[in-house]
Amino acid sequence: MGAGLSMAEAAPRFEMRGIRRTFPGVVALDDVSFSCAAGEVHALCGENGAGKSTLIKVLGGVHQPDAGTILLDGKPVRLNHPLEARRHGISIIHQELSLLPERSVADNIYVGREPGRLGLLDRAAMRAGAETWLRRFGCRFGADAVAGSLSIAEQQVVEIAKALVFNARILVMDEPTAALDETETERLLALVRQLRAEGVAIVFISHRMRHLFAVADTITVLKDGKLVGTRPRGATSPEEIVRMMVGRELKDYYPARRARAPGAPVLTVAGGGNEWIEGIGFELYPGEIVAVAGLEGSGKAALGRAIFGAAPFSRGQMVVGGQAVRPNTPLDAIRLGIGYVSDDRKAEGLALRQSVLENALLAMRGIAAIFSRPGRTAPRGRGIDQLLREVDVRAAGYDQQIRLLSGGNQQKTVLARWLALAPRILVCAEPTRGIDVAAKAAIYRLLRAYADSGKAVLTITSDLPEAIGIADRLLVMHEGRLAGELPAGATEEDVVALAAGHQFEAAPA
Amino acid sequence: MSEAAAIAAPARARVRSGAWLAPAMIVLCSLAAYCVAAAATHQTGQISVDGFVGLIQRTVALGIVALGQTLAILVGSIDLSVATLVSVGAVMASWMMQGQPDMMVPASLFVLALSALVGVANGLIVTQLRVNPLIATLGVGLVLQGILSASFQDFAGSVPKEFQIFAYGTVGPVTLSILLMFALALVEWLALSRTRFGAHVYATGGNPEGARLAGIKTARVVVLAHMLCSLAAGLTGLYLASRLRSGAPWVGRDGVYDLESIAVVVIGGTVLAGGKGGVWGTMSGVILFGCLDAIFTMAGVDAFIKQVLRGAIVVAAVAAYAYRTKGHVA
Ligand SMILES: Nc1ncnc2c1ncn2[C@@H]1O[C@H](COP(=O)(O)OP(=O)(O)OP(=O)(O)O)[C@@H](O)[C@H]1O
Ligand SMILES: [Mg+2]
Repeated sequence: MGAGLSMAEAAPRFEMRGIRRTFPGVVALDDVSFSCAAGEVHALCGENGAGKSTLIKVLGGVHQPDAGTILLDGKPVRLNHPLEARRHGISIIHQELSLLPERSVADNIYVGREPGRLGLLDRAAMRAGAETWLRRFGCRFGADAVAGSLSIAEQQVVEIAKALVFNARILVMDEPTAALDETETERLLALVRQLRAEGVAIVFISHRMRHLFAVADTITVLKDGKLVGTRPRGATSPEEIVRMMVGRELKDYYPARRARAPGAPVLTVAGGGNEWIEGIGFELYPGEIVAVAGLEGSGKAALGRAIFGAAPFSRGQMVVGGQAVRPNTPLDAIRLGIGYVSDDRKAEGLALRQSVLENALLAMRGIAAIFSRPGRTAPRGRGIDQLLREVDVRAAGYDQQIRLLSGGNQQKTVLARWLALAPRILVCAEPTRGIDVAAKAAIYRLLRAYADSGKAVLTITSDLPEAIGIADRLLVMHEGRLAGELPAGATEEDVVALAAGHQFEAAPA
Repeated sequence: MSEAAAIAAPARARVRSGAWLAPAMIVLCSLAAYCVAAAATHQTGQISVDGFVGLIQRTVALGIVALGQTLAILVGSIDLSVATLVSVGAVMASWMMQGQPDMMVPASLFVLALSALVGVANGLIVTQLRVNPLIATLGVGLVLQGILSASFQDFAGSVPKEFQIFAYGTVGPVTLSILLMFALALVEWLALSRTRFGAHVYATGGNPEGARLAGIKTARVVVLAHMLCSLAAGLTGLYLASRLRSGAPWVGRDGVYDLESIAVVVIGGTVLAGGKGGVWGTMSGVILFGCLDAIFTMAGVDAFIKQVLRGAIVVAAVAAYAYRTKGHVA
């Protein structure tokens, strides 16, 4: 696509040859070669921990390769610091958000490349430039907003703007769509196509096949730090890519639903509302998985936090197991048997410098400490090892510091933490964000098995196919209210229509 | 990040505002308390231009050190060697001058160069050897104090009359040193809010890894901040030599400039983790401590109670900021 014949003959915009990179206990990259031409979108896929982020960090000057060379426009270069990569026109959206929470959006977008003369900042230019990008994404916050007060999706948009404000010749996006809803994703993909037409070399990393196949010209698969293969998009299929990633055929992606015996609801919310949501009413039964869908800002995240007491309901009623309750803090909720997998694992989910095992045990300690002091040798401690294996956390060892794990494996640890606690209601916000297909399937199976054991699961997800695939029922939110409920087997169109609030019908033809 | 903020609807995104509000309130309350105390103890003479100048004058040494400490803390570091460096500056200045006017410039330059060197050493130990800044600067401070105490037992030398202009010279009713402190505050504020260096200071303190990924040479920023912090301490040493007419190896330690400077920075709303805060907050903390001292002196209250109250104020301030932002703890 895009690249004409004459361009194809020229040296690629960048080429990485025989890259090897090791960390204590892991070979993250082993003899990997990867390249991208001007005007090409090259997708990179692989399981969690396959080495995708490491590869682009090598390109970005964050990590230095143990072996191998990097060529830019045919000339070998050494990139010892992100600044040097930047000087060569390489711009990277990193997987882990790296914003300054206390600074404004404009400050964040221009961090490290502040405009101005003689070391003086040109604040007007910063604000104007930031506003331009925010408008392009249809953002509802301004350049003066404090980054830390934005939602995860909004922060993601800021990260994207940060990488785009300077005219990159090479743009790398490490899971840019993980936190975005469908509308925002469409905008981003449109932008990617536009940049490709302008001749930017683009690397696109995502676990969502749909997005990959929507923009990529070429797809490269990594597995366990090794290159599996590179295919032109036209000559491959999602099934083949998944097979290359996982090493086998992936069957029964979504687990089968089981007919459930109707019983008393474990959770009832009536007329629930707070600052962000209004008039919420629904029931949740033991043994079912209910998915909450909706656009970013529709209040679906707020609903999860309200139930968990992180941003409690201020109006309405909540009944858990037949008793009227009002959890005002997460601890209240945990005591009531409500678990919560956060969508912002960095800010609140994980203790980054502690080990995988410590993190997995965290929630359990939170309540158990009231009665006793469980060590890692406590009976349930062994259960954790088992669970970590089941959700397939890949680490050099469970004693490894969690910040050194790949993004997807961090997410799995958070999930294991809550499964270990066995709450009767498990609320999951974006449980599979940044998780590879095989692990997703494993998590779906785990959640289904969990529901089958008589527990109730409420998942809040921006991934529509996922919501439809695993849920027994779908709740769709729009502008802080429940727009409707759909049974299993609903189509994406049904959900989108509800989530958009039937705007099409209201608009004059 | 505040838990509730993470899910805030877009329209509710918080905008940074009122950076002036807390410092202004602190200053106003402190001065009001000072006036009330003066009136209550029938020392109304203190409520005059001279009274206020005297009040500010007594804060100059702490103020200059704290301006430097603000930088160190903003980049996510801290400096415990400042008190010793103040002593080193004062002693070296008076010892080299020995009352001779023509040694004023060389001695001052030497003190400042030495301070800068100590600051760079602090910065390199923190960034290159990756020693925790508390330990690194504590160590450097102990080494310096050891050398100083071994070499000088008492007041060493003296400064010439001309050098005392630094501390005692006046412009109208105000002293030169007060003007110097506010000029430094103004310059630092401009540097932090209007320059690329300032932006990099906040970035480095706010998210070191993110700043590095954004292409900022964070180690360089930390070293520079430490250098400026030590320069401020050295300058304070010169000021004390000028004010006391000589320098002794205990002047810094007696002023408790290390802990007090950290205290006023924190009272001013700068977060110990770095990346948030600023100059005017620090200055308001300095004025608060100055007023507190004056009030207790006027009331003739025991120095121990003063310490207790200072400690309580530091803790209360941090708690108040933490409550306001519902999350970050200094
Ligand atoms: N700084 C580090 N120290 C030690 N090990 C690391 C470090 N960074 C990455 N690793 C390890 O290198 C391997 C590759 O990680 P990487 O982050 O590149 O995976 P990934 O393909 O991006 O996965 P994901 O899809 O989960 O983001 C993992 O085993 C990870 O634990
Ligand atoms: Mg990754």
